[in-house]
Amino acid sequence: MDMELIQQIRDKARNLLEEGTVEGIIGYERASDGVTARPFFAYEPPAAERLIFDETCTHNLVKYLLDKKGKKMAVVVKPCDSRAINLLLNEGQIERDKVFIIGVGCPGIVETSWNYKSETLQKRCRSCQLSSPLVYDFLAGGEFERQAEEETYSDIAEAEAESLANRREFWQEQFGRCIRCYACRQVCPGCYCPVCFAEQLEPLWVGIRIAPEENELWQTMRSFHLAGRCVGCNECERVCPVDIPLSLLNRKLEKDVKELFAFQAGLDPEEPPPFATFKKEEKLEFGE
Amino acid sequence: MNLFFSKDDLSRWLDSLLLERTVVAPVRVQELTMFQPISKVGEIAFDYDYTTLSPKGWFLPPSETLFSVQRDDGQVELVPTLVERDAILFGLHPCDARGIALMDKPFLQEPGDALYRDRRSRTALIGLACRQVRPECFCTSMGSAPDDPSDVDILLTEVEDGYIVQVVTEKGKALLPQGLVEYKGEVPTPPKLQVVPVKEVISTIKELFNDPYWEQLADRCLHCNICAYVCPTCYCFDMRDYSDKGKVERVRSWESCQSSGFSLTAGGYDPRTTKGERLRQRFYHKFLYFPEQFQDVACVGCGRCVRDCPVNIDIREVISDLKQLMEAKSGS
Repeated sequence: MDMELIQQIRDKARNLLEEGTVEGIIGYERASDGVTARPFFAYEPPAAERLIFDETCTHNLVKYLLDKKGKKMAVVVKPCDSRAINLLLNEGQIERDKVFIIGVGCPGIVETSWNYKSETLQKRCRSCQLSSPLVYDFLAGGEFERQAEEETYSDIAEAEAESLANRREFWQEQFGRCIRCYACRQVCPGCYCPVCFAEQLEPLWVGIRIAPEENELWQTMRSFHLAGRCVGCNECERVCPVDIPLSLLNRKLEKDVKELFAFQAGLDPEEPPPFATFKKEEKLEFGE
Repeated sequence: MNLFFSKDDLSRWLDSLLLERTVVAPVRVQELTMFQPISKVGEIAFDYDYTTLSPKGWFLPPSETLFSVQRDDGQVELVPTLVERDAILFGLHPCDARGIALMDKPFLQEPGDALYRDRRSRTALIGLACRQVRPECFCTSMGSAPDDPSDVDILLTEVEDGYIVQVVTEKGKALLPQGLVEYKGEVPTPPKLQVVPVKEVISTIKELFNDPYWEQLADRCLHCNICAYVCPTCYCFDMRDYSDKGKVERVRSWESCQSSGFSLTAGGYDPRTTKGERLRQRFYHKFLYFPEQFQDVACVGCGRCVRDCPVNIDIREVISDLKQLMEAKSGS
């Protein structure tokens, strides 16, 4: 653990609370297993001493800002998480002056599960090109020199090369395991519809059956709704209790959007996602 | 008197059971272990330590059709779902068996749930004692134990060269082959587990209904349904009618008190609108409402919610927090 970095986060958090700049801090603390981290909300200055940051801090805390609308909150943000900040700013879901961003330089996050941390960096971290958060008010730990691999989407290319029948069989098997716990949706910073299509009754898009066909419809609509919006935090895949490789879908759509529109979500707070814009010249004539 | 199965005996016996019954057992699915119907004994993961989902799904499937209604030439016919075969639920650990015993209370209480009752009466439970426990296990605090035979028909305990066979019920006895030898060796001592002070909490939890603790704890809760769906004792469900070309099906699916629409009533009133109220419901149902109705705590200490919660809401920690809150209250 980088104690100097942690001390900087704690000092800043304590100051912000003492001065009343924010109502609360959203950061990380040690989990009950003593090994991994969990989200932590500090509202009183002494609670700032519980804050930590290390290679197990995998959660994207930006999601929690949506629960705290109207309150001024500080949030600990890794470089990757900052893309979610940009997404939500862009989509008008958070107000910049209501958020104090404690950015952290990040050496990469390792694979973790309950009571376990590996020595291996997460796949998304191995190809992460961001040395510091894209947006912040205070940077703890400074910039990290990173030697990231280039994102080649090699696994996506492999999946694309499979026959349609094989791909269908693969996803039917994966979605067959889905228990519709909606953890993928609940953890996603891009999922914030007041009524999710999965729960809408009129019109009824998808039924409540936890069964292959309806699971497939749920997962397909979920991932398409995130096309050009997914910021690649991979929280959906991390939380899935039945190990559905959701990142394959998300990254396939990311790759397509990148190729078609030269766009990646969350890199720029001003540029709206391709599917949220419409230019007059894009209008098609009848039958075109 | 304990009997003995060699590993080959056990395998042969399961083979014979497979001829006439559905056998549901722990099976490896990629990196996971899940209870599934098997087609041959070789599929069973005898050495599993835990399954992602509890075996409750055999009795209360994630989704099932309760009955269907068909309309044909002006005639309306109601077709109930029938349980076709006898079954064996093999290899469940004592905590999961207790989970089923607890589910029996609401589902078998008169008038009872017909489909649940039929599956339950046609399924025998063959338990497997835990020779090892995991750090998140706390079954002994919840009325069970790694070697508890109370809620199964037969309990097997693995020893070096086979399995000790403990016959618990007549239903179990009827399944076993004749001529099993008596086991005269030593019965292994079960592993020790951490103690979670649940008794202290049950008697006082009522007083913490309006405590700010719940909203604080819920700050990090995502309100997904993982805890409820992996839990061996959570049994809430939703129902919907599906209609298609003259046929209507009534479908029941798992649902949980953590989802936002769960307590929404017709007319738009929702008694539990905040995150804290929803999260509190989970613990109040386990430690207050269920015990009030059925005398038992609705938790078996299997540790699944501890392991799978994406934000580490740890039921053991909640119990000890509640105990401390009560102590602070009574001390002041």
